[in-house]
Amino acid sequence: MMAPNSRQEAKTPMTEKTISRDELIEQIVDRYNGETGMLISMMQDLQTECGYLPAEDLRSLARRLDLPVSRLFAIATFYSSFRLAPKGLHEVTLCIGTVCYLKGAGRISEAICREFQVEPGGTTPDGLFSYLPVNCVGACAVAPVMIVNGEYYNAVTPESAMEVLRALPSEQEDEPDREEVAE
Amino acid sequence: MPIVTIDDIQVEVEQGATILDAANKAGIWIPTLCHHPAVAPQATCRVCMVELDRGEWKQLVTACNYPVRRDITVSVSGENAVKARRGVMEFMLARAPDNEQLKAIARRMGVDSTPWPTVTVAQRDCILCGLCTAVCDEVLGLAAIGFSGRGVDRAVAAPFRQIPENCIACGACAAVCPVGTIQLRFHEDTDEIEISPFKARVKLRKCQQCGARIVSEPAVAEALKKVNVDWEKIRNLAKLCPKCRRIRAAESFVTAATETPTEK
Amino acid sequence: MIAIANKHLAGPEQLEQLREELRGERNSSDKCVRVCIGPGCAAKGAGKLHDLFVQAVEETGADVKIEVKGVGCHGLCERGPIVIVQPGDIFYQRVEEPDVAEIFRETVLGGRVVERLLYDDPDTGAKVVRADEIPFYKAQKRVALAQNGVIDPGSIEDYISAGGYSALAKALTLEPEEIIRQVEQSGLRGRGGGGFVTGRKWRFCRQAAGDPKYVICNGDEGDPGAFMDRAIMEGNPHSVLEGMIIGAYAIGSSQGYIYVRNEYPLSVERLKRAIEQVRTLGLLGEDVLGSGFSFDIRINRGGGAFVCGESTALMASLEGRPGEPRAKYVHTVEHGLRDKPTNLNNVETWANVPVIIDRGSDWFASIGTEKSKGTKVFCLVGKIVNTGLVEVPMGITLRQIIQDIGGGVKDGKTFKAVQTGGPSGGCIPAEHLDVQVDFDELTQLGSMMGSGGMIVMDEDTCMVNVAKYFLNFLQDESCGKCTPCREGIAQMLAIVDRITHGEGRKGDVEKLEQLAELLEGTALCALGKTAANPVLSTIRYFRDEYDAHINEKRCPAKQCRGLFRYKIDPDECKACGICLKECPADAISGEKKVPHVIDQEKCTLCGTCWDKCPFSAVLKV
Repeated sequence: MMAPNSRQEAKTPMTEKTISRDELIEQIVDRYNGETGMLISMMQDLQTECGYLPAEDLRSLARRLDLPVSRLFAIATFYSSFRLAPKGLHEVTLCIGTVCYLKGAGRISEAICREFQVEPGGTTPDGLFSYLPVNCVGACAVAPVMIVNGEYYNAVTPESAMEVLRALPSEQEDEPDREEVAE
Repeated sequence: MPIVTIDDIQVEVEQGATILDAANKAGIWIPTLCHHPAVAPQATCRVCMVELDRGEWKQLVTACNYPVRRDITVSVSGENAVKARRGVMEFMLARAPDNEQLKAIARRMGVDSTPWPTVTVAQRDCILCGLCTAVCDEVLGLAAIGFSGRGVDRAVAAPFRQIPENCIACGACAAVCPVGTIQLRFHEDTDEIEISPFKARVKLRKCQQCGARIVSEPAVAEALKKVNVDWEKIRNLAKLCPKCRRIRAAESFVTAATETPTEK
Repeated sequence: MIAIANKHLAGPEQLEQLREELRGERNSSDKCVRVCIGPGCAAKGAGKLHDLFVQAVEETGADVKIEVKGVGCHGLCERGPIVIVQPGDIFYQRVEEPDVAEIFRETVLGGRVVERLLYDDPDTGAKVVRADEIPFYKAQKRVALAQNGVIDPGSIEDYISAGGYSALAKALTLEPEEIIRQVEQSGLRGRGGGGFVTGRKWRFCRQAAGDPKYVICNGDEGDPGAFMDRAIMEGNPHSVLEGMIIGAYAIGSSQGYIYVRNEYPLSVERLKRAIEQVRTLGLLGEDVLGSGFSFDIRINRGGGAFVCGESTALMASLEGRPGEPRAKYVHTVEHGLRDKPTNLNNVETWANVPVIIDRGSDWFASIGTEKSKGTKVFCLVGKIVNTGLVEVPMGITLRQIIQDIGGGVKDGKTFKAVQTGGPSGGCIPAEHLDVQVDFDELTQLGSMMGSGGMIVMDEDTCMVNVAKYFLNFLQDESCGKCTPCREGIAQMLAIVDRITHGEGRKGDVEKLEQLAELLEGTALCALGKTAANPVLSTIRYFRDEYDAHINEKRCPAKQCRGLFRYKIDPDECKACGICLKECPADAISGEKKVPHVIDQEKCTLCGTCWDKCPFSAVLKV
């Protein structure tokens, strides 16, 4: 359940080929013609490829763009969508927007954190899932809303949410971008 | 050139100058924390608030970065402006209640205490003015430290909260820090200089002649990088402290005068 | 469909020709199933319904042409998933997977109505066949949302056939100054919350010195409870693009950006696809429609920060920096993105532009009030019967929106307040329900129209807790740069938090008012300046609740734990013994067949009994 920890290589879901980390950075930079203004998009692409933002890759990206690393670190820690640590096997998002909150999302959040020992924005100790409460996903009509791996669960209660999370498989069937690559 | 009427004193300033410039010219003191002439105005601390009289309505603005483009009237000592500045300083004092430098500025403003409890965590009294990060970025061009996080979790940090890699320990951040959060520490046993609290620690250059502390080695390397001409003489001079440098220079004049034959 | 819009259009005549072709293939008697796949219905599984209908068409082998379309949000999200069958505009609601076969067989093929899936009036029980007969829709005036739910947002053919890009073609024949004059005369004001006169902003930008000029679409809809912009971006992306191209032409801009918040990946997808389509046709890029004017658009995703909805923070984000706002002493129309003249408008504002050019500024100005022209899209959510998206003329009253369109408060509860304007807004109580909704009226009552979120609250909502919720939100989202916002919101939250935990002190309300005034005057951006609004408006209209919390340690709405009591209703109690067993304080006593009783002395107010009782016999008092 570890994210690719190989310093040398990464398998990209886009090409299904194994490429080196340096090539990955180059690919990402080229995609946006090296424009500094697209830095956030570059970092988003990096996170999509690796599951999180590995420090080494951020340093490489900074070098490649001739920007100070502190700027990339500032961006990585300012915006909620970025992670500096590997995420869990599953991705759980809970809406805590006004309507969901009024309908009890706060208690659902507490229950999740308590049972699975996870902090908002963090990952469970066993790496089963990452949990991110967000401020409104725009589906207020069916509040409270929980999203697991992109799938919506509406009108959840603490009980129904726990049921869904307890049933999450601890091993994934096929993980094309998570294979350990030699060396 | 526009005229600024500031607390009934009139001063003429350049187009685009700030209200703070006008205040300095008029001899009126406005407290500042995040302002420093070496870097661009940030207007983050909000302690320099003054009241702009726009005729139909009044507006509180920050003096450090409000650009004067036409004749304006500003109140520094008016009730609204004083109340605003006091309020901001009271927030600061709640954040760092034991900081002597902060308290000194507050006293000068007439603020002796704060009604608010401490609700945010300040790392070593840091008030997040941003001068350290600004000077490292704008003046040194290194940006070894920057901001991380957001909101109440905002903090000055080196990337990944490790020891900043490209810090040259020049001490500029310590020089501009208004509350003494950043300090220089000297390690005599290893001839090193450390920037606290970032833990950047490098060799310190000492005067070849007298042993006085000059500056960090990486700072010299950085400075020499910016000198395009490779002069042996400059390198040699850089090995001496200012005092010894003057002595050496004086000696070289005497030597030159003695050795050069005079044409008669 | 035979005609596909995939050939470069060299000029307006070719666009019209294409439009004729597309219309020629479309007949109002054509069979079509429109499945709503807007955010609300999608969350209820409408995607699967769409697939099932497609499958049904494939399997039927009928020789009649039947089209299945996934369409954008109709608005009546409460009754979703929604399916509309043509011909006849037959409106089916709460459609589930087993219903697909019946709808297909009876209505699509057989032309018969399936009664049980029709909308039924909650008061009279009468069944309604068509959408425009439903009270929810009757009072609405759909301008920006006109094509939502009608066209397939992924089909530029649908958009052109419905008249799309005719406004652009017309605009390109006018002088830029004339376009600006028309937009200004229409009275259109920014729909993102700022309410600045759009035409005037365009004029300032056009007149500003500097090159290049930029136009930006602010799609960072961050107010919780608001999904208007999402519905437009996902339901009719071309309306936004057309507006931007017209605006860029009028201002003299060659590069545009659409900034979409990170949480809306589907909006990004739909917009991307729409951009590819218009590029192919030559309606975007070099030499737009043969006019000599060139303009292109790029989409940027947000990184997850509410503050990036603020224009200068958004621009910082577009420059690849953290989204920290800066002072606006120099306006962004003069010095904005990369220090160049920049015109930023909200999604809904842009979507209104083609309509104004098409139907004229006089027509637009004939709708609404004297200072607030046109319509506004609102998200009506919370404790309301008809949760969903509505578009109404400005000047309509809150009562009309909540009663006539919204169907009143859910579950027969009493209306308490409606929160408008998101975290910068405030709560409006029952006594002001007859206020006209526009840019200025709500502001006078201590709230604001904002971007359009309307959250209805009932008697069970604690207003102090509402203030706490918004302060918490703002503390999370504050960029932290300036002292007053960062420290001030934390101070306000600390006070309100104490109050909701029964630790309120005399003078707390005064302190909150003091903090509010300080923030308003000294904060750097609108987030900080308006942060205290939810607190101030709840103090203004619900001071009694604050007083009860502080002086009596009592929460009148019975929401703040520890500030109300539990009591077992002896009439409802079935003496099942569950509460007795679960009570962690052993505070409940009772025997078989005897209604149980809570010992108030021992009770820790934890609420476990209330949670566990299967008969809802535990009351909050």
